[in-house]
Amino acid sequence: MSDEYPSLLRSERMSLVQLFVPTEVAHDTVHELGELGDVQFKDLNPSVNPFQRSFVGEIRRIDDMARRTRFFDAQIEKEKDVVPVRPLYECAPLLTVGPRSAQTVDELDTTLSQYESKLTTLNESYQTLSERTRELTEARHVLRETAVFFDKAHTQTSNIRSSFDDSATPLLTSHDDREGGYSAGSFDLEFVAGTIERSRVPTFERVLWRVLRGNLYMNHTDIAEPFIDPSTNAETRKNVFIIFAHGDVVLAKIRKVAESMGATIFPIDANADKRADALREVENRLEDLQTVLYNTGIGRRSELVKIGESLRVWQDVVKKEKLIYETLNLFNYDVRRKTLIAEAWVPTRDLTKIQLALRHATEESGTSVPPILHELQTSKTPPTFHRTNKFTEGFQAIMDSYGISAYQEINPGLFAITTFPFLFAVMFGDIGHGFIILIAAVYMILREKAMAKQDNGEIIGQFFYGRYIILMMGLFSIYTGFLYNDLFSKTLHLFHSGWTFPDNSTRGVYTGHTYPFGLDPAWHGATNALVFTNSYKMKMSIVLGVIHMTFALCLQVPNHFRFKRKSDIYTNFIPQMLFLQSIFGYLVLCILYKWSVDWTKSPVSPPSLLNMLITMFLEPGKVDPEKQLYPGQGFVQMVLLGIAGVCVPWLLISKPYLAWREMHKTTGAGYVTLGNGEETAIARHSTDETLEGEEEGNGRAIAEGDEEHEGHDFGDVVIHQIIHTIEFCLGCISHTASYLRLWALSLAHAQLSEVLWSMTLDGRTDPKSIGGWIGLGIMGFMWLNLTIGILCLMEGLSAFLHALRLHWVEGNSKHFEGGGYPFAPLSFAGEGKEA
Amino acid sequence: MEALFLTCIDNGFLEGIVRGYKSGILTQSQYANLTQCETLEDFRTQLSATDYGGFLANESLPLSTSTIQEKATQILVDQFNYLRGNAVEPLNKFLEYITYSYMIDNIILLITGTLHERDTHELLERCHPLGVFESMPALCVATTVEELYQSVLVETPLAPYFRDCLSANDLDDLNIEIIRSTVYKAYLEDFHSFCGTLGQPTQDVMQRTLAFEADRRTINITVNSFNTELSKEQRAKLFPTIGRLWPEGNNQLAKADDIDQVRAACETVSEYRTFFNDAGVSSSSAHGNGGIDDLAAASMLEDRFFRMEVFLNKQAFLQQFQYGVFFSYVKLKEQEIRNLTWIAECIAQDAKDRIQDFIPIF
Repeated sequence: MSDEYPSLLRSERMSLVQLFVPTEVAHDTVHELGELGDVQFKDLNPSVNPFQRSFVGEIRRIDDMARRTRFFDAQIEKEKDVVPVRPLYECAPLLTVGPRSAQTVDELDTTLSQYESKLTTLNESYQTLSERTRELTEARHVLRETAVFFDKAHTQTSNIRSSFDDSATPLLTSHDDREGGYSAGSFDLEFVAGTIERSRVPTFERVLWRVLRGNLYMNHTDIAEPFIDPSTNAETRKNVFIIFAHGDVVLAKIRKVAESMGATIFPIDANADKRADALREVENRLEDLQTVLYNTGIGRRSELVKIGESLRVWQDVVKKEKLIYETLNLFNYDVRRKTLIAEAWVPTRDLTKIQLALRHATEESGTSVPPILHELQTSKTPPTFHRTNKFTEGFQAIMDSYGISAYQEINPGLFAITTFPFLFAVMFGDIGHGFIILIAAVYMILREKAMAKQDNGEIIGQFFYGRYIILMMGLFSIYTGFLYNDLFSKTLHLFHSGWTFPDNSTRGVYTGHTYPFGLDPAWHGATNALVFTNSYKMKMSIVLGVIHMTFALCLQVPNHFRFKRKSDIYTNFIPQMLFLQSIFGYLVLCILYKWSVDWTKSPVSPPSLLNMLITMFLEPGKVDPEKQLYPGQGFVQMVLLGIAGVCVPWLLISKPYLAWREMHKTTGAGYVTLGNGEETAIARHSTDETLEGEEEGNGRAIAEGDEEHEGHDFGDVVIHQIIHTIEFCLGCISHTASYLRLWALSLAHAQLSEVLWSMTLDGRTDPKSIGGWIGLGIMGFMWLNLTIGILCLMEGLSAFLHALRLHWVEGNSKHFEGGGYPFAPLSFAGEGKEA
Repeated sequence: MEALFLTCIDNGFLEGIVRGYKSGILTQSQYANLTQCETLEDFRTQLSATDYGGFLANESLPLSTSTIQEKATQILVDQFNYLRGNAVEPLNKFLEYITYSYMIDNIILLITGTLHERDTHELLERCHPLGVFESMPALCVATTVEELYQSVLVETPLAPYFRDCLSANDLDDLNIEIIRSTVYKAYLEDFHSFCGTLGQPTQDVMQRTLAFEADRRTINITVNSFNTELSKEQRAKLFPTIGRLWPEGNNQLAKADDIDQVRAACETVSEYRTFFNDAGVSSSSAHGNGGIDDLAAASMLEDRFFRMEVFLNKQAFLQQFQYGVFFSYVKLKEQEIRNLTWIAECIAQDAKDRIQDFIPIF
């Protein structure tokens, strides 16, 4: 069985294997298995603290390396001009396996730390330089601004002192219009000048005002350009301020406040010439500094460019190494024997592949001791692993998001590949809309490689992930569109209609020729078109629904066989099937029969099937001859109702009864319920002993974490079966009704698309004037947008959700067991995607 | 019921958030793991498995205890700011009240630092980030209380609390301590009455917590004022007028001369009775060396107060639809940071025998 071709019908057969890996090849083995991505390791030291495990030292070292690569990444990101980072697939790979692997990692470690220290020193010098530049720039600004201020004061001969009593008003504006008796140049006032962060200016002013008891003469102006901190890239905006005051104490106080508020104070001379000198000097120094700064920046940049060339490889290596050592930490480490013992789940049919990989790893590492792999017998439930490809992946994901199916259970994901798009298309049926989403899917599939590489964002990424689902949905929608004969709410006249309208009469005359495929276009625009399509789509929904449910019910059978529960066929499957078919299967037959009868030639009018179903329950055995569908109907319905009636207690009682009898038999034979658990315990114990011979007391490797054994409690069986019966019988009715959503959504979709057409394009398709053409252009644009936005995207999503529900609830409730856990193999590829 | 729904509309989200934060508080077993660490690197590895996650991942080695404390505090501050950013009145006001105690601490820190002529920037760095306010740096300028109030504090929300202590003129160590106590007393009383306006569940929970806080301060002031210049009248003035010891316990404490009298005063409250059990024994056994012994008793007392605080704050989480959880979360987290710092400090200084002396929370 294990050699069979991989199918989606059941999850892969898994084996629990034990690996004995010599320490020398452990790293390479895990690396090889990680590349293979097919092995799920079990944690053999669940009780050990993370930092007490064997390979903590290595992990710590790698964490430090990872921190360095992150540091480089951040540095590159921060660089104003984009530093080219060579993508991973263009870089030469760094070999971390083989005999030289340890050396490679050591080298990488030193390279990384070298670069880091180099970069840090460069950053530091860059920072000090830019710090000094900033200071000088600030000084320049202060000098300039104060110069402006002094110049103004000189020319306008303003009176500063007279403003003391009114310091709360902005002085800059008020001093302009004051004429004072003080002559220019009589500045015997002392002052403090400097720069301060703009956001702090109001607080600064307030505090000063209070500290100086209102005697504040302060002037400040904005510095236009922001200062950028090179290490954080944060922008700060600053203001130049100048404060005049008298007396040493007050000045000291101002200085102290200014310093505590984070201001920088510059010594400025009151003398204009000296100020000019200072400004010149500052300018010169600034120029020099800027040259140095520029050179440092260039040096730093070239360093970053060098790093950027191989950064991605380093990150890749670091990530892989970390994963490897984390995996190694799951292993059982036997210090004396220098071997690592691992346990892992692998797909049984890949065992040879894994063996090959192990051998390859041994060869690569250049040692002669290969890791030993052997299969273990276990009673533990293996993980569920569906081997998917890019086509089936999406469909499987739909089903997995409902629940992971039990190990080796029939996988509903396989059938979803056709049922899902089909049920979607029943609701979405329109050739045009189907074509639009088909094109979208085809586009995504054609650009698959390119799109897979780039980051598509969350929404586009979702669509891209489901591109094959969309493809199938598009194809099926076109098909159902042909069935409904619906193209953007218009019809196609592919064949000759079966109806003629003689002499402009509104009553169609049947020509005796049936439209070969789909809906006859003559129905389009007929007054009773809606009545007809409603009746047709409603009945079709029921027919499809019952078929879908019957099919889902049948999926139980292989499960019962596989899990060796043959009795469930008699106790569950057959009564359920009979119940479903005797009521709803019968309804479907009646629908089909009613369709096949030409009621225009029948003496009686067509009976309502809904009423028929109701009277079948209310008055069993009696059928009004007026409303009779076929002779002998009363008897048939009574028999069917009888069958359905019998099925309920059958379903309710038979399984608990069998369980009770089984229990009785075992207790009667002198066994107690412990039996089963004891047996496995003994079996495990014996494997322990055999192992012990090999590894001297390391049998602990497998004897951990008993899978809890579900006690076969009789009460549980009864309650479970009662719930199951009620759920199934009521479910049959509500689920059948639930399939009417197929009709409802299909109707809504058709109506919406018709309304959209009539509101925008109807009557404009044949423009006569320029205005008409413009109108057509505008309306056509609107129509196209709304068609894509509302009809394809929104309606499509709603139909998608309803199809999802029909699968999850109506379909899966008939057979799905679930409760499995997904196979999560160690894989480098998956890790790479995450980052 | 109506009030309940209204609380939900305004604060349901934030309460959910804070309860989520609370479940990230380290548990006993996580502490047990942490205490087994050999180095600070182990400590980091161990912490990365908790809700702290990779908060230290980008720190270069070697780690220092202060970095750990700083980063952990930063997490608390970020969480708090998130809560505050999303809060509406009156929760907003409530959260602001929580910051006041940190502001008081910062002010006192700055004044003391300035008094001892420490570097201003160093002082500013040591301030608790939750209690930072705009004009705080200017505190360094002031030399008298009057000036302090007039130049800086008048515009902060703390201004009313300082009004009572303007009489103290000189800034010396004792006066600063008196100022701290007076201001804190005013703050506690104000917070207490504010919680009274918030209606039932909050009032209940918060006033219980604040009452304990007040009692703790009262007892601490009493114990610390033995053998100092502080007169008994002055001492009585510093006691908050809330709490379970108030009024008769406070009166007794105001007159107390040694730890035994303190214990006698606390007898009335059953929960506080146990605090003094061992302390009393040890002080009577070694009576000759009273000063040092009182010190030991006080530190033991402090420890028990912390335990009690943690207990009360944990209890706040038992009640829904009230603001106490916000207060309690901040306090618990603060305790956790203290614990982490303690453990880290013990690891760094290789004092394994005292590593268990932290106060477990959950």
